[in-house]
Parts: sequence; structure tokens; C-alpha cells
Amino acid sequence: MKRFLLTTALAASLALPVHAATPAEGETLAENQTLDFWILDAVKTLDPHKNTDVDGAHVLRQLFEGLMNEDEAGAMVPGIAESYEMSDDGLTYTFKLRDTAKWSNGDPVTAEDFVYSWQRAVNPETASEYAWFMELMNIVNATQVVAGEVPPEELGVRAVDEHTLEVTLSTPTPYFIKTLSHGTTFPVHRATVEEFGDNWTQPGNFVSNGAYVLDSHDLGVKVTLSKNENYWNNAETVMTPLNFITINDQNVALTRYQAGELDWFDRVPAGQFPNLQEQYPDQAVAIPQACSYAYLFNMSDKGPEALKDLKVRQALAYAVDRDIITDKILQGGQKPAYFWTHWAIEGFEAPEIEMAGWTQPERIEKAKALLEEAGYGPDNPLSLTIQYNTSEDHKKLAVAVQQFWKAIGVNATLANYEWKVHTDRLQNQDFEVARYAWCGDYNEASTFLDYFRTDGYNNGKWSNADYDALLAEAKTAENTTELYKEAEQVLNADMPFVPVYHYSNAMMVNADLRGIPYDNVMYNWYAKDLYRVAE
Amino acid sequence: MFGYILRRLAVAVPTLLLLIVFSFLLMHAAPGGPFTGERSLPPQVLANLEAKYGLDQPLIVQLWNYLKGVVLQFDFGPSFVYPDRTVNGLIADGFPVTLTYGLLSFVLAALVGITLGVAAAIRHNSWLDYLAVGTSIGAQVLPNFVMAPILVLVLTLWLGWLPGGGWSFNDPSYWIMPVIALGTSYMASIARITRSSMLEVLGSNHIRTARAKGMPERRVILRHALKPALLPVISYLGPVFVSMITGSVVIDIYFSTGGIGRSFVDSALNRDYAVMMGITILVGALTVLFNLIVDILYAWIDPKIRY
Amino acid sequence: MVIEQDKMRSLADTMAQAEVKGRSPWADARKRFVRNKAAMAGLVILVLVTLFAAFGDYAAAWSNEELDYNVMGQVRELGAPSIATGHYFGTDDLGRDLYARTVQGTRISLMVGIVGAAIAVIVGTLYGATAGYVGGRTDQIMMRLVDILMSIPYMFVLILLLVVFGRSIGMLFLGIGLISWLDMSRIVRGQTLTLKNREFIEAAQATGVSSWRIIMRHIVPNLLGVVAVYATLLVPLMILTESFISFLGLGVQEPLTSWGALISEGAATMNYGTLWQLAFPLFFFCITLFGFFFVGDGLRDALDPKDR
Repeated sequence: MKRFLLTTALAASLALPVHAATPAEGETLAENQTLDFWILDAVKTLDPHKNTDVDGAHVLRQLFEGLMNEDEAGAMVPGIAESYEMSDDGLTYTFKLRDTAKWSNGDPVTAEDFVYSWQRAVNPETASEYAWFMELMNIVNATQVVAGEVPPEELGVRAVDEHTLEVTLSTPTPYFIKTLSHGTTFPVHRATVEEFGDNWTQPGNFVSNGAYVLDSHDLGVKVTLSKNENYWNNAETVMTPLNFITINDQNVALTRYQAGELDWFDRVPAGQFPNLQEQYPDQAVAIPQACSYAYLFNMSDKGPEALKDLKVRQALAYAVDRDIITDKILQGGQKPAYFWTHWAIEGFEAPEIEMAGWTQPERIEKAKALLEEAGYGPDNPLSLTIQYNTSEDHKKLAVAVQQFWKAIGVNATLANYEWKVHTDRLQNQDFEVARYAWCGDYNEASTFLDYFRTDGYNNGKWSNADYDALLAEAKTAENTTELYKEAEQVLNADMPFVPVYHYSNAMMVNADLRGIPYDNVMYNWYAKDLYRVAE
Repeated sequence: MFGYILRRLAVAVPTLLLLIVFSFLLMHAAPGGPFTGERSLPPQVLANLEAKYGLDQPLIVQLWNYLKGVVLQFDFGPSFVYPDRTVNGLIADGFPVTLTYGLLSFVLAALVGITLGVAAAIRHNSWLDYLAVGTSIGAQVLPNFVMAPILVLVLTLWLGWLPGGGWSFNDPSYWIMPVIALGTSYMASIARITRSSMLEVLGSNHIRTARAKGMPERRVILRHALKPALLPVISYLGPVFVSMITGSVVIDIYFSTGGIGRSFVDSALNRDYAVMMGITILVGALTVLFNLIVDILYAWIDPKIRY
Repeated sequence: MVIEQDKMRSLADTMAQAEVKGRSPWADARKRFVRNKAAMAGLVILVLVTLFAAFGDYAAAWSNEELDYNVMGQVRELGAPSIATGHYFGTDDLGRDLYARTVQGTRISLMVGIVGAAIAVIVGTLYGATAGYVGGRTDQIMMRLVDILMSIPYMFVLILLLVVFGRSIGMLFLGIGLISWLDMSRIVRGQTLTLKNREFIEAAQATGVSSWRIIMRHIVPNLLGVVAVYATLLVPLMILTESFISFLGLGVQEPLTSWGALISEGAATMNYGTLWQLAFPLFFFCITLFGFFFVGDGLRDALDPKDR
């Protein structure tokens, strides 16, 4: 067995073994350490194994602590696990859990808790919508347990002793450690879950192991958390209480931020960031966020004949003026996309893409020529339908893209569906061109690239053997950078989609709030690392 | 009269049943299901979920089980989208909020509207009349999805007087904006109906007679004019009452009150069948009930009406 | 906004009396209507708005879907209403000409209002007249059905319909029309019952005129006043409903728009220094609603004069 240090970040943090709120030299903490954070919708559940949305994940990350946390740059740092070892074949991970870790009711957090929780996450009876995450982690038998073929006890995770957890993988998984800050891997308190059933998430019943405990949950109005006195590093937690305030309208939320009712407002409406930056230079921030936006072509049998022609796909991809989209419509620090993986993903290097180097007039000229070669022109114009789901921003982009394509003689009709219908049609290949966005599950390029694998989600049903082979190779390779770059090039050569832009998170942050992980593209933040300074 | 009530009740039951079956089938006919998401779920996971909520059974069986639960146990089932909540729980949380701001708006709209209407009619063609008519027409056409953000802008951002949203049963400052935003246009309608109906009554023969007899004006109005003038207002108040207490999507969205109006739209969009059905049944039952009450009340006040 | 059922009933009575007395109520009504200043103002507004919808395009410098790349991205600074840029009403967030979009939105909203009202009125009249004329068991069943439909929370059903069948103008008409004919059918039925036993109807029956013909020739014409007033007052209700549906994001498809869609977009950005995006559509919306309102009220007062 070879002993690994967690990462370089951990090597550094060994001297300073915990990651917590650390005021800089000369900063005085403010009297008031409340955090009012905006969430768009009601939090659907506080059960970490059942949550599916981002807002819920923000709340859960404060309540629970998994084996690993992330630091302000997104690097993995110890959470409940103090250290871990990986076997030489890369299939077995052994975690040493902190013996000081406790639940909010005083019970110790044990390896058995993780075993129970992970089994619960894949147990068909739990019917977790994120059960697939354990499959993504490649834990032995995860797929079989989800399918109900073997009992949950067969899952490749076991407690060696009270503070030692052993996880067995079915195949070496370079990104395994990076999945360990995800909510699906959080432990839940067995006795509480078993006692209260579905009601265990109600305030009063709730037992958690993170830096915070649940005070109240007024559905669709507010979730309030306060410091967990039993948290192993509670002494260094500064911020309390935390209010997660639901405001269903983005613009009203911004108004209320300006009125001082919120400390932190992310997702600034498209086009408003420059003005806000001018008005509040000390509060407006835009950081990269690991999501990519695209228009997918339907390449399946149900798709239109025209899109089977590479020339047509290229022409459509060239004609989209990404600079207008990022600089004139969105204006929130987004970057034009010429490839699929978000540019800020760790260890990813942008591939050389020919089209990126051309000017827009050049692209349009090429697009027109390609369309003509493909047999389309003024007498025989290409007609397509652009499908998008209801949202002010998607609408703006679709309208713009329709105009971009009009400029090369393509008649595009807009079809707006609500979210459920949009996804249903995507998944059944009932579309021609559809708006799509993908957000990374962990900070590594495969989370993006897997999408286009033949057996990936891949709603356009593009399939390429070379691409699949490259990704398969990357699963076990020492150095993946070149492989991912090559995969992007294969993708680009066949253009099954129009890359549009890479996300950024434009937000407003109260000027006295410190410790926000601006360099973490996953946007996973921990309130225990935050603090407010006195003016 | 008694026979009439019975007849109406006899219609109410099939009405509700029809509504339940119709919405149930409609909802299930919609593309996508409660678990359709960004990432298509692995078939086993989807199967597990559907099995858990009984969605794997034939539609007719699901409908039958649902009806059985509702009728026999008053149990509307678990929510599909809020996995740790039941529909009964969600309604118990949201409906009191809706009811509170709905009732307050109703009382406010009725009191102010009637007062304004009567005052405008008495001072016919005075500045008060013009003011009342002008504002009430304006208030009737201004959509509340325009008024709500204006209120937040003015009362929260510029003046800083009120919280911009949220809800608390203990703090009336949260109630004010929802009540204004919901009540204003109804108030305007009530004022207009009251005014025109009052004018008509004031011009009628029996009021002229009363005045000719030298009865004091105050008495003429309170004793003789008000009651007949309010009849059309009352018949309008019935449906208004129902629509106010059954929630407003706009209010819930802008003021994040957590009421059932928003829950309904959300549940329809999220295909949360159980929540959608629960709220439809609640609203349907309230509508049937209050329509009945209003009709009875009306028959009681206006002896001309025979059933 | 609301239609006062009592007054509609009273109007229907007056019209039926006139038929019995063999006098046309329309001759005097015209004079009374012309004397009513509010109603005439309303009529002028409606004519102007209709002209705007029909011919406004000829004055537009931009189409309703073109993006003005010069303005895009700096709408707050450059997108304000201006004769020089050709954006008389300014632009929306994408740099699309708000004037052209308002013209086009006016068309959709007026169409939704008028077609919706027409459907409601036609269905209501035929249904009510049939029920009243045929009478007996049929009448009872038909009116019971109206009772049932009356107690359906129709905004809920409308949302459901749009969610299930997808957004389309057709569905919008169907949904909106679905409920509005109910009150109408009750009034029509009442009047049909009054008229049914008059001598002229009995005479027609005796000479073997078919029921359908009697309904169409003798009953419906007597209801024209009610129908006209009702239709005029229904239009603004339809427009309001459509605006709410657009607010929910279930309205017409881009690049088409409607007043409701424009207003809700404008309301969303009203704090961002682009107030014209709200002001222009809202102005047209409001004056048109006033217009229908005044004309409807005026028409009713003219046909059913009371000492008011």
C-alpha cells in the first residue's frame, strides 16, 4: 500500500489541519454575523439523499459534512475523514474518520453511519433520484443494488472499525475523491431516520453532523440554521444564524438585496451586471461556474435529414455570434464557448478550435458557403425549429440565434415549452434543435465529456467510436489532459451541437462578507468558512 | 328553500367528482412526469420511484385508489416533488397564509369599496365622485403583476417601511403589501358597482317619496336606499370572496408568502400530481360551497327571488 | 373588472318588452349614445387603437423581430424612445423595436379579446335560447350543467389546459371562452322563457315554422342588445385574462407577443432604468380597456335608459 497525501492543498493544510473562517490580519469581526442568502424556490427536501436541486444543496452543505469538503479554490480538504489511503490497483480507499466528530445530539459520527447512509442512498426503497451518483462513483455493486438485484448490504462499503471506512470500487476512478463533497455521500443519523420516517427532516426531529443545525423551515418562505454546538470544529465557526430566504422572482430578489434584506444575491438577471458593477463596485462579482450552454442537434433517426449533413451543422454553429451573446445579452462575465467542457475545470486545457480564431464575418461567409454546398439557398431555404424551455434568458438567446441564422438564410421557428415538456421531448428525441445546458457534478472534465458518450445522456444521440474510446482510456490514464483535449477535437470535428457560452455566476455580495470561495468553479460554499467584518 | 338547498347539494357532489376525474386524467395526460428531470433517470431508479408512489399501476387503478384515500380517509397522499411532505401537510402550511391575506383583502375591499361607492353616489358629480370613479377605473385595469413590484420598489426599497416579502403570522407588516396588491382591483370594482346601483336607487320613486315626506337625508340613505342598493354588490361579493381566499399566484410569487396559489402552478408545472389534485379539490369544494352560501344569502335578502 | 349581471337582466327585460310593444329600442338608443361623452370618448379611443393595430406597421422603421446591434447591450443608454434611431417607443432588452412589437402585440391582444368574447357570446346565446325554448327535461339538464361548470375554479383549469396541451392561441380561446358563456346563457334562457309564450311565437309554431328557425328569427334578434353589450364588456375581461396567462409564461410564442407579455417583461425591468418598456404597452392596454368599458356601459345605458 502506498500512502497518499490528500492533495497539495492538504499538504499545506496539515499544518493548519482544518478549513474554517479565518479573518485576515487587521480585520475585526462584526457584531452581526447573520447571513441572509437568497434561494429562488422552496427547498423541496432536507434529506440529503433525496435532494435534487442546487438551492437545497446549499442548505444541506451547511447541515451535513461528508468525508471531504472543498476549500476556497475548490480543492478537496478533509471533512469527517482526516486522511485516506488508496490501494495500488486504485480500487480500495480506506478513510480514517475524525474521532472528535459528533452528531448534533452528541452521538459520535462513526464509519457505520456512512455505511448505513450510503446503503440508504442506493436502496430501491429510498427511491433516491440521485442514486445514480453512487453508480458514477463506481462503488462495487451500486448498479445492482439500485436495480434491486442484490441487497443494499452488498454495496462496496464497510466499516473496518468505528473510525475506519473502506470503500471498494469496481474500476479505478480518478475523480472518486472529488465526488465526496456531494450531498448524496453525506451521512444521515440512523436512529433519527428510523424513528421518524419521512418526518425526520422536520425541525425538532432533525439531527445533523455539519457545522449547523436546523432551527426552522417555513416552506417556501425561509429556512433558518444556527451553529451546531456539537460540531467538532464549532469553536471556529463564526457565522450564525443563516437564513435561506425564498424569493420566487429574480428581479424582486435584486430589489430586496438593494433594500438590505439579503446579504448575498447570485444569478443577477441577464444584462444587468454592468450597471450594478458601476453602482456597487465593491459588491458586484462575477466568477466562473462549471456549466456550459449549447444548442443540441437531433442526430437520431427522428431528427431532420438536414442535420445529418456535417456541413449544415457546421454552418449553423459558425453563424451563432457568441460575442454578442456574452457581451451584449448576458453581460455577466460569461465566456464564448467553442468547445464543451467549461474552461475553468481543473486540469482541463482548452483545445485548439479553428472557428475560434476566425472573425464573425469570416464565419458567416464560411457558413453561407457550406450551406450552399449542402444544397440550401434562397430557392431552397433550410427550415428548422429551435426548442427552448420557459425562461427569460433562454428566450432572449433563442430569439437572437433565430436572427443569426436568418442572416445565413435559415428560417428558424421558435418553440417554447415548459421545463417538463422540454426535457420529455429531449429525452424522446422529439426536437430538431434544442437549447441545453450541462453543469458539472465534480471538478473534472469527464463530467462534461461523458455527456456525449454513446451511452451518455446525449439527447441528440450522436455516436462516435473514437470519442468513446478516448474517454474509456481516460478513465484509467495517469495523465488525462491530452485525452480530453483530443476528445474535444473529435467532438468539434463532427459538431453534434453548437457550443454557445461557458457560465459565470454574476452576483452581489454584501461588502462586509468575507471567505466566499470565488475560485471554486463548483460554487460549493461553506458558511463555516464565512465571516463578516466590522466596517 | 330547503328543497333548493338539497338540490344544490345534490349537484355539488357530482360536480366535485367530475372535477377530480377531469383534472386527474388531464394531469396524467400531460407530457413528462414528476420524475422527469435534467438527467433522465436510470430505468431502475425510475421504476423504484414509480413503484414507491404507485405510478406503475394502470391509471384507472391509481384513480380508484386516490378517490378511496380522499373519500375514506381524507388523505391526499404524499407529494411527489416534496418527498418529506404530504399533501395534507403542504395544504395545512400554505392555506392559512392564503386565507389570512385573502380574508383581509376581502374585508378591506368590501368596506372601502362600498363606502367609497356610497359616498360617490351621494355626492354625485362632485370632486369626490370624479376622484372615486377615476381611481376605481385606473385600479381595475392595472394588472396586479405590475402593482406588486411597484409596491416592493416604493415601500421597501425607496421608503424602507415594510419588509419586501416573506410571511409571518405574528407580524402584520408582512401582510400589508399582499393585501393591498390583491384587494385594490376588487375594491375598485365594488366601488363602481355600489356607486351605480346606489345612484339608481336614489333616483327611484320610493326614495323620492321618502324625501318628499321630509325624511332626513341620512335616514333616507341608511334606511331606504342602502339595502336595495347593496343587492347587486352582494351577488358580486360571492365569487370575489371565493377567488380571493383560494389564492393568488401573483401575490405568492412576488411576496413569497408560501400560499397555495403558487403551489398550484408549481405542482402543475412539476407534475406533482398529488399536490395539484389536492389544491384543485380544495379550491373546487370552496367554490361550490361559497356559491351555494351566496345564493342562499341572496335569496334570504331579496324576497323577489324564488327558487 | 366585472360585468354586472343585474343590469344585464334588466337590459334583457327592456329589450323583450320592446319586442312585445313592437317598437325598436335602437332608434332612440343611438341618440342617447352619441350624447354620452364617456362612451363617445371610448369609441374614439377604440377606433384609434384599431387603426394603430391595422396600419401602425407602415410607420415602423424596424420589424418586430430585428435586433438592433447598436443598441443591444446598452439599452439603458441607447434604447430610449427616439425619432432619430427609428425606435419611437424605444427598444426591448434585446434591441428589438418596441413600437413594432407594440403594434403586433396590440393585434394579438385585440384578436384574443374579440374572438374570445365572440365565442362566449355565440355559445352562450345559442345554448341559453335552446334550453329556454325546448324547455322541460332538456332545459333542466342543460341548466344543471351550467351550474356544475359555474363551480369549477376556471383559472385552475385554464392553467392545467395550457400545461397539458402546450401553449397555443387556440387553447387560450377555448379556455377563456369555456367559462364566459355561462352567465350569458342564463340571461338568454330567462328571456327566451318570457318570449316563448307570446302570441307571435305561438303563431309561428302553429304555421309549422321549425324550432331552429323560431329561435334564430324571433328570439335571438330580441337579444341583440344584450349580446352587443355583453360582448363589448367581455373583451376587456378576455384581454386581462390573456395578460395573466402571459405573465405565467403560458402565452403566445415568440417572436409574437401580446400586451400581457410586453407588460410583464416591462414590469420585470422597471427598476433598471428602462421604464419605457413598461410604459408604452401599459398605456395602450389601459386606454383600450377603458375604451371597451365606456362603450359597453354607454351602449347599455342607451338601450336601457333609467334615471341615473
